[in-house]
Amino acid sequence: MKQLSGKTAIVGAYESPRRDAPRVHPFALQMECILGALDDAGLALSDVDGLCAASGDWAEGGGTMDVIELAEYIGIQPTYVNSTDVGGCSYILQAGQAAAAIAAGLAEVVVISYAACPRWWPLSTPSFDPFVFPAGPGQYEIPYAPTLISTYGLFARRHMDLYGTTPEQLAQVAVTFRGHAAANPQARLRKPITVDDVLASPMIASPLHRLDCCVVTDGGGALVMTSRERARDLKRRPVYLVGYGAAVARTQNSQIPDDLSTPAALSGPRAFAMAGMTPADIDVAQIYDAFTITPMLALEDLGFCGRGESGPFVAAGALSADGGSLPTNTDGGGLSSNHPGKRGIFTLIESVRQLRGDAPGVQVPDAKVALAHGLGGTFCSAATAILAV
Amino acid sequence: MTAMTTLPILDETSAPFWEAAREGRFLIQRCPETGLYQWYPRAHSIHAPHATPDWVEASGRGELLSYSVVHRGNSRGDPYTCALVRLEEGVTVFSRVEGIAEGDLRAGLLLAVAFHRLDETISLPIFRPPSLTGGSDA
Repeated sequence: MKQLSGKTAIVGAYESPRRDAPRVHPFALQMECILGALDDAGLALSDVDGLCAASGDWAEGGGTMDVIELAEYIGIQPTYVNSTDVGGCSYILQAGQAAAAIAAGLAEVVVISYAACPRWWPLSTPSFDPFVFPAGPGQYEIPYAPTLISTYGLFARRHMDLYGTTPEQLAQVAVTFRGHAAANPQARLRKPITVDDVLASPMIASPLHRLDCCVVTDGGGALVMTSRERARDLKRRPVYLVGYGAAVARTQNSQIPDDLSTPAALSGPRAFAMAGMTPADIDVAQIYDAFTITPMLALEDLGFCGRGESGPFVAAGALSADGGSLPTNTDGGGLSSNHPGKRGIFTLIESVRQLRGDAPGVQVPDAKVALAHGLGGTFCSAATAILAV
Repeated sequence: MTAMTTLPILDETSAPFWEAAREGRFLIQRCPETGLYQWYPRAHSIHAPHATPDWVEASGRGELLSYSVVHRGNSRGDPYTCALVRLEEGVTVFSRVEGIAEGDLRAGLLLAVAFHRLDETISLPIFRPPSLTGGSDA
């Protein structure tokens, strides 16, 4: 994949400042984001020949052929599309595949877009849980009423038993990201919290408390990608996609590996190999944080710390923009800034902002290399992108 | 037990599992070529993809691998414990654990299967401490 490194760039990025969008259809919010990202790039809707979206889940507005619905709504007929839905990291996967499509000549200007409005969405579906059919593999699990959070709880509890990870260490993740959110005027929750606050918040699914869980907001964002050559002529400093990897692994809880490794252990090394880099090269990271355990397992799989060492790693302040070795989730992340349901696109958007030096909140000085990493479901899929200027 | 209202939908692959569960037996699958067990049940062996797995009766004993007590979830009702249970045969199943106070839950606890009769077709396996014998209502 090395030949793909640096061949394409993100040239436009936009995150909606909305956190509540009552009675706004998610497609309308997507249009706000698409136009925002195109304006940022200095491009027009008529320049777009590629569209990537995954808008068929609850509160996203679309059905199984969502990318067609979305294209029609925004008023284009794209000749390259990708609506692969692997959960929250779909947009990172789509960025990597868009890079390959652009480099191969299948597309020239690709928009990647996402929005969801869970706070008002009126149509009922079973739950946020991604695997809802009590048929086939699900017939052996759905009758027990697992929740999305309880599955993360299974991971967190086993991590504590295997490696001695503590609730305080988990809580530190939320505390650190809240500290970052305090500087981001767009963040949903900005009041600083302490480890004790996290531990004192209600237990949702043990060992995860309310403040171990992400916020639920409406929201959206979009990106514009094009070739390295075309990027040079556009409005903003290009942010090059230099590394990419993705993998899918499992859906059922019974298939969780003994050592809690996740498909990030496949996506991460592929991304680093494509970039010709190691974790030591990363100046700033945006790592999906649906729950406090979520980025911890990613840190291990991506090689920022050893297997089982994420507890001491985060407790020592490694993720803090204030002196940490790996400033992470500088916008406040899903735990504090926004989480409409599949927030992978925001890990790319905040990476772009960090590399351009125009972050809305905490700005890591002189950041040159950023890592955006996401997962889908309950560590079911993973996608990693490395961006550079 | 806390309401478990979503019933499994049986198919040609899974029917033997649920028929045995109705009789209080917990079946798992074994590969005829490698002798390796698998869970969850499939129409093929994940160890030898062209082979059709055999059904074998598991001991029904295992140990608690991980757990999460759902206090505020998508389901109404009292807290309940979702669990990963490692069976003696080596496969891990997802189920519920009952009969253990939250504060007494810990990895490695020995467990035995029991069955809740939900209707005339479905008896759902759950896990309890082996000392709680006779708790099955299958």
